[in-house]
Amino acid sequence: MYEHDVLIIGGGLAGLRAAVEVTRAGADVAVISKVHPVRSHSNAAQGGINAPLTDRGEDWKGHAFDTIKGSDFLADQDAVEVMSSEAGEAVLELERMGVIFSRDENGKLGTRAFGGQKEARTYFVGAITGSAILHVLFEQSLKLGLNVYEEWFVTKLIIEDGACRGVVSIDLKTGEMHTIKAKAVIIAAGGAGRVFEPSTNALICTGDGLSLAYRAGVPLMDMEMIQYHPTTLARTGILMSEAARGEGGYLLNSSGERFMQKVAPEYMELASRDVVSRAEQTEIDEGRGVDGNVLLDLRHLGREYIEAKLGYLQEVSVEFLGIDMAEQPVPVQPGMHYIMGGIKTNIDGETVVPGLYAAGECANVSVHGANRLGANSLLDTVVFGRRSGAHAVEYIKTVGDHSKSEEDIKSEKARIQALLDRPKGERVATVRNDMARGMTKGIGVFRDQASMEGALENLVNVKSRMDGFSVENKGKVFNTDLMFALELEFMVDCAEAVVAGALTRKESRGAHYRTDITERDDENWLKHTLMYKDETAENGVRVETSDVTITQWEPIKRVY
Amino acid sequence: MTDATANTMKVKLKIKRFDPAESGGKTWWQDYEVDVHPDSTVLDSLIEVREQNDGTLALRCACRASICGSCGMKVNGSAKLVCKTRVVDVAPNGEQLTIEPMGNQHVVRDLVVSLDTFFSQINRVEPYLQPSFVPESGEYTASNESMENLLTGMNCIMCGCCVSDCTVLEVDANFIGPAALAKAWRFTEDPRDSKRDERLKNLNDEDGGMWDCTRCMKCVEVCPKGVAPMDRIMELREAAIEAGNTNTSGYHHTESFYNSVKKHGRLDETRLAIDSAGWTNIPRLLDLAPIGIAAMRKGKLPPVFPHKAEDNKKVKDLYERVEDAD
Amino acid sequence: MKYAFYPGCVARGGAPELYDSALAVMARLGIEHVELTKAACTGAGVLQEKNLKMGDILNVRTFALAEQMGLPIMVLCSTCQGVMSQANHRVKKDPEYLAEINEHLAPEGLEYKGTTSVKHLLWGLIEDIGLDKLKKTFTRELTGMNMAPFYGCYMVRPSDALEFPAYPQRETSIEDLIESVGGSVTDFAGKTACCGFPILFINQANSMKMVANHTGTAKDLGADAMVTPCPLCHLNLDGYQPKARKQVRGDKADLPVIHVPQLIGLAMGMSEKELGLQKHIVSTKEIVRKAEAAPAKS
Repeated sequence: MYEHDVLIIGGGLAGLRAAVEVTRAGADVAVISKVHPVRSHSNAAQGGINAPLTDRGEDWKGHAFDTIKGSDFLADQDAVEVMSSEAGEAVLELERMGVIFSRDENGKLGTRAFGGQKEARTYFVGAITGSAILHVLFEQSLKLGLNVYEEWFVTKLIIEDGACRGVVSIDLKTGEMHTIKAKAVIIAAGGAGRVFEPSTNALICTGDGLSLAYRAGVPLMDMEMIQYHPTTLARTGILMSEAARGEGGYLLNSSGERFMQKVAPEYMELASRDVVSRAEQTEIDEGRGVDGNVLLDLRHLGREYIEAKLGYLQEVSVEFLGIDMAEQPVPVQPGMHYIMGGIKTNIDGETVVPGLYAAGECANVSVHGANRLGANSLLDTVVFGRRSGAHAVEYIKTVGDHSKSEEDIKSEKARIQALLDRPKGERVATVRNDMARGMTKGIGVFRDQASMEGALENLVNVKSRMDGFSVENKGKVFNTDLMFALELEFMVDCAEAVVAGALTRKESRGAHYRTDITERDDENWLKHTLMYKDETAENGVRVETSDVTITQWEPIKRVY
Repeated sequence: MTDATANTMKVKLKIKRFDPAESGGKTWWQDYEVDVHPDSTVLDSLIEVREQNDGTLALRCACRASICGSCGMKVNGSAKLVCKTRVVDVAPNGEQLTIEPMGNQHVVRDLVVSLDTFFSQINRVEPYLQPSFVPESGEYTASNESMENLLTGMNCIMCGCCVSDCTVLEVDANFIGPAALAKAWRFTEDPRDSKRDERLKNLNDEDGGMWDCTRCMKCVEVCPKGVAPMDRIMELREAAIEAGNTNTSGYHHTESFYNSVKKHGRLDETRLAIDSAGWTNIPRLLDLAPIGIAAMRKGKLPPVFPHKAEDNKKVKDLYERVEDAD
Repeated sequence: MKYAFYPGCVARGGAPELYDSALAVMARLGIEHVELTKAACTGAGVLQEKNLKMGDILNVRTFALAEQMGLPIMVLCSTCQGVMSQANHRVKKDPEYLAEINEHLAPEGLEYKGTTSVKHLLWGLIEDIGLDKLKKTFTRELTGMNMAPFYGCYMVRPSDALEFPAYPQRETSIEDLIESVGGSVTDFAGKTACCGFPILFINQANSMKMVANHTGTAKDLGADAMVTPCPLCHLNLDGYQPKARKQVRGDKADLPVIHVPQLIGLAMGMSEKELGLQKHIVSTKEIVRKAEAAPAKS
């Protein structure tokens, strides 16, 4: 019998930060994750974490404005205010837990510049900031004796009387299925990058959390907002941090021109990510690329500087492409990187389902709107991870006994057995690749009505094959083949919401850039798209909209 | 071999399989052949096997960018992170690659090992910052240099490659292991941590602690992140000695060695053995004696009067100059 | 070829047969040498635990002595090779560090410019003499003799300091030598593991397990002997084999562990006495017998 006050799905930054908060409050908490916490994708965040340090007089409003401008005014400004004003303390707390942030000459936290921001307010650990923070939060979890269900895979949320009361899961190491009861569940299960191919995301980023909430009736918001990172390594798609440009790196086209001059004369390479990615794609599409890439040039920074500040990038460049960045520019291209959209929550991580919270990339509070600033994702995870944990602690006081029902585990066991019992059919990977390539093709850096309809058509085809694939491995222990099948089902849900959102939004805003409607339309589309799972609606999705919260920054034209 | 026209290459893999469901578990070798892009990594090839060839093959992988630490396994006998191991580098002429699960850890299935060994070792070093005070607000003050120094340790992604190939763990499961010691170093070197002396003393005194490393350098060679655990262990030993931990055979061994070279320019092997065992450790000395007697009979015992380097006086002077300068 | 010869403490102490057999083989090959009698111990990695810089200074002093003579250094010991290579690697990539060390050497009138190379006899035979030329000096074909290579640690790691990228053949040097004398290689996983010597005085139980595992496994796989370039590995694998095998495996010591020049010497037709094989703890009688019975080289 597994029971906890609070159960957190996901052991990355948001999940562990929430767990620390719940533990401190004295409640019983556990983390459940399909991978060991230190394998979480928070690792991959390289460049840093943004924070105005209000304790030394820095104005959080500057960061808030840059974030809102970066979001192309789609972020909810009350949420951004919370994030920006709590950012300083959130980062300082991480330092006090043990994160080895870079320092200035006085031994205080030192910054680097990052894209889309007027001030340098990004705190960092080399080019391994995410990893360095994740490992410190993991250290804290060991210190606190946190309960972790490692390599347990959640298949379904238990919803009773409209409230979330736990999960059904598979212990991958034994193959046994278990109910874990909880008075509150926080989904901190990361993004859905694998819905696209290629993507910088880890193979584990399959939108599990988004789909779990979506199936439980929670709307997914602004799912059409897909971030393409401007610098992913040629062919491999490996992320090359924005820190490369933050530290002074140039982007060059085939004739050696710093082409950002043409679109962002003030910010140059440090314009917002959507702006830089579009500029790169334009160079490539108009024949000024180098084998489908542009060049990231760090040579002028010098070997010593590169190795001290950007060591991981040098490691990746040398080992994967054999290019020494001190000697040669490295070819890069825009690559799918992050999903701004996600499970709709309020500023305390609450969803519309009582007892169900979401935080981190899977959530949409919304602080990133139509385009996330670099180094705001780590900030989002710790600020809203903490707030979700804190609110959940209060919420569970209002909940009586644990659920007694065994219905969900019965139906889940039957569903999964049926999946295993299917006759031999298509391979899961074949269906997944078809889905993901179609998504990238239709919902790219540039998109239009025809491309998005193409994505929909592709998805309809993929959905029609969902009953036809089969699981080859029938064993119990560490059956990843089964897990990939379940993940594919989650990903198709996410893809469905992305396509629906994209087809709904009749304007260009942030990452949603339509070549057939190139202007932002504040009059009609200063709105969030909300996707509900609804079998009665066209393509199984009901799309609604809601107003964006504006507090003190009226939308203006976005120039970098 | 690379076929430039088809833009694919054939990769031959010989994979050690393990199925725990069979009674008592069944181990076998299975050969695979896949076509992949010529720049592919070993992981790309394994994923190709898993997705297009044999869905029953189990392995862990996530980031594909050498940062999550999931995909440690043995390639041709030594532990590697397969996502950063390019096929052309380990099989330049299309040789068959032998893939096995990591060593020194219990195999769960195929290439997946249990994480319990690794993390129970990590847990032994109280792997979290233990400061003497927490600032009411703001951060700890610390030099940038001191933080950059710790990057070497923080680069550890806990992949387990060093544990896999550790030659001491092969014979002694009680050894705390290279990863845990490197993790401990990350705290003993952190100016914000207040438990440096206790940490050093514990690792010095504990069975299976810092002195059980044989300095074989396997961990340095296989670490995919430049943590060089053995170098960290040597720094721990140096720090433990400096902090006054002089109660171990390891310390006496090092000290005796240092002084022998200082005095004679060379090594006094007899003295080294006796010093390491400890002058008062009668059982250990008796234990060494029969070997010595056997060696003497064969005419190969170390000389009772140690030979000296011709310039031993100059070596001694040099020692003194360096010691004075420090 | 002429070398500044650095036999090391163990060849001049606990394993005199290594020194004697090396000189005999080198004489047969016409390798000239000047022994570096003024040089200090390398520190063997042990001294380095207490004071890494002191270790580097002692080794740089040795490099400077050889540099003055204009000769590369030849060693007989893996540990000497490894420790010297690491020191050389460190000072060559850090000119400031080298300058600092040279200041300590200045009162003795020494300065190291960074030009000395260090080569184990094993590498010298392959890289400087060449296997073809070496084979011409053999009088016997040691067919039917199965030999397990045992590299230990310092001849294979760290591979960058040992210049493996520039000399890839170093990775299989013992195997190549075994094949050159006509023997067969008994391959086993432990060949690049620790022999247990460094912890002999610190954790003898672990050390004995290593000795028993390596010698026992090689024997089980059919080896007649083990060949090692490291006298410290030899001390442990030979000297402690009776104890280790009894304690760990409950069997008897039965695998002779021979030095590289002894293997070459056997192929050259040298006698048991010339090679000091009677000085081993584990009897070498059977391999001497096999070698003597081996066919003459055509």
